Amino acid sequence: MEIERQVEYLSPEGWKQWHLELLQSTINRVYTRVPFYRKLMDEKGIKPEDITDLSVLKKLPFTTREHLEKNYPYDLFAVPLKDIVRLHTFPGPRTPIVKGFTRRDLTSIRRLTARFLVTSGVTSEDIVQICLDPGMSIWIEELKEGAEEVGASVIPPDPQSVNNRIRIMRDFRTSVLVTTPSYALYLSHFMQEKGINPPESLRLILLVGEGIEAVERLRLEKALGVDTRLGYGVTEAVGPGMGYECEQRQGYHLAADYFLAEIIDPESGKEVKEGEIGELVITTLNVKANPLIRFRTGDLCCFLERACPCGRTTPRISQIVGQSDGRVSIRGIKISLSYIETLLEETYGHLPLYLLFIKQKNYLEELELWVAMNEKLFEPSILGLHQIATKFEKAFEETFGLPCRLKLVEKDHLLQVAQGRKVVRA
Amino acid sequence: MLTVRNLSTYYGPVQALRNVSLHIGRGEIVCLIGANGAGKSTLMFTIMGVVKPSSGEILFEGKPIQELDPPAIVSQGISLVPEGRQIFYPLTVEENLELGAYQRFKREPKDSILADMENVYELFPRLKERRKQLAGTLSGGEQQMLAIGRAFMARPKLLMLDEPSLGLAPKLVDSILEAIKTLNEKGLTILLVEQNARKALELAHRGYVLETGRIVLQGRTEELAADEDVRRAYLGKDYRKFID
Repeated sequence: MEIERQVEYLSPEGWKQWHLELLQSTINRVYTRVPFYRKLMDEKGIKPEDITDLSVLKKLPFTTREHLEKNYPYDLFAVPLKDIVRLHTFPGPRTPIVKGFTRRDLTSIRRLTARFLVTSGVTSEDIVQICLDPGMSIWIEELKEGAEEVGASVIPPDPQSVNNRIRIMRDFRTSVLVTTPSYALYLSHFMQEKGINPPESLRLILLVGEGIEAVERLRLEKALGVDTRLGYGVTEAVGPGMGYECEQRQGYHLAADYFLAEIIDPESGKEVKEGEIGELVITTLNVKANPLIRFRTGDLCCFLERACPCGRTTPRISQIVGQSDGRVSIRGIKISLSYIETLLEETYGHLPLYLLFIKQKNYLEELELWVAMNEKLFEPSILGLHQIATKFEKAFEETFGLPCRLKLVEKDHLLQVAQGRKVVRA
Repeated sequence: MLTVRNLSTYYGPVQALRNVSLHIGRGEIVCLIGANGAGKSTLMFTIMGVVKPSSGEILFEGKPIQELDPPAIVSQGISLVPEGRQIFYPLTVEENLELGAYQRFKREPKDSILADMENVYELFPRLKERRKQLAGTLSGGEQQMLAIGRAFMARPKLLMLDEPSLGLAPKLVDSILEAIKTLNEKGLTILLVEQNARKALELAHRGYVLETGRIVLQGRTEELAADEDVRRAYLGKDYRKFID
């Protein structure tokens, strides 16, 4: 497959022109086709003709996940519905969000994911096994197609036990594993504990969905005898392949031919100073169905200003150091507390005092939602209470694709453990 | 090679180009697609200096040219093959070609001009056969060949062609487009406006879609050819089914 490599080495002047052209055509399209954006621009008194410089972008308002929720399902589409060939839905802050793809969008994403894979060292000779939770279904789809584009053999994830996954890895001679850092660490720990030798065929692990600390990364590479590369993406915009490590492994190179990146102070909304940590904001440049203008990702990171020795001229960002929007990252899946509150309200008819308890068990995070008992929770039978809890657990798993146990605890105990926090990791 | 930034052009009170930005790299064939009146020809005329932009800049090999007049732009290395050929009917084929090299006679030896004329004849052997014939007596396809040959005689670095296949029989269209491809393979950079979007997308490397004076889409031509909007508006996707 021919990968667009040339673009990654454009001169600063070349990027400026490239970005200006793509930004202008994107704004021309969204202004005429998406009433939401037209209204936002009209309110600010900005016309498409005013986009004469990239700096004008900073005058446009942000798009947030709340906007995506409010415009559910189709109000942010910039193409007629008949051009949409795929629809995905996933949880927003409180209610679902939808994302549509035209045929061209799917091709772009496939190429972009393939670029991430090829840059990471994947070739058509590889057998790529994907081990991701169902909550990352969009990523699974995109990674699968990207690997197929490269010409590799792909093993998509099945709801398998860890033993079965290791068996598949051995039997199929998997050479590349795509998973989250937590699952990779768990796998390595599991093998060590059970005295299982890592499969000899395995040479590379692509870590997606979250970052990993340098020490743990080294330990993982040593234990399994593999190389690792990281990939970054934002489900609402472009999935995996939005950012990827080169052979230098110093931060994510952003796919700057597909979007513009800014880093802002999440409080003031102003651009942070050079090298400072802030929230990543992106504007898509090549998306047809669901273009996003200044979308607040909630991901905290900083630009790496120094030129990368690999020669690529695309901007680089650090690993994600946290979330600015109250979301919690569990095994690569972003969970918003406000969505949990919605589910609790639906379950109990009111919002009880709660605590999200994240247990680290052999590197794999497990979720428990502690709910403080109160008189409104009163049920005549224990069975009734149990049924309600099961209903919540089911709703949670359906929403996020992750299991979560609901545990009723005494209010005082909860308060003592929480110490004013809503999320506790142990 | 050519960089256009924020170009706006008016015809009286009518704005024909709205903040258009595009670029053409050395050795590329770039096509412009759009409905009638979208601003494709205006863009070429503005680059050529025939129409003055109200704002924006045009850089050719890094130097601004938007203030220059057409002869100066030709001598910088840009040639235009206008829509409807506009060759000189009362002159012979050879005289038309010589006029294409008008600006070169003062500063270049005649040999190099004659060598280029031979190149044109090699590209279009029909012109060689008819070199003493009056241009007005040529068929439509031959006139188009002559128009391209004449533009080539100015020895451009960038050749702009406005609807080169207009009004030609399908077989001739193919040979004209084949000639454009050959010129490109010899190193000529090309900006192409073509009503036959399907053919243009097959020939070019990249393309821009103009809609009422604005660029609404761009990309590699295989991307554009697969784009739903392009297929609907310019490739007759919905009608194809009907005919098939």
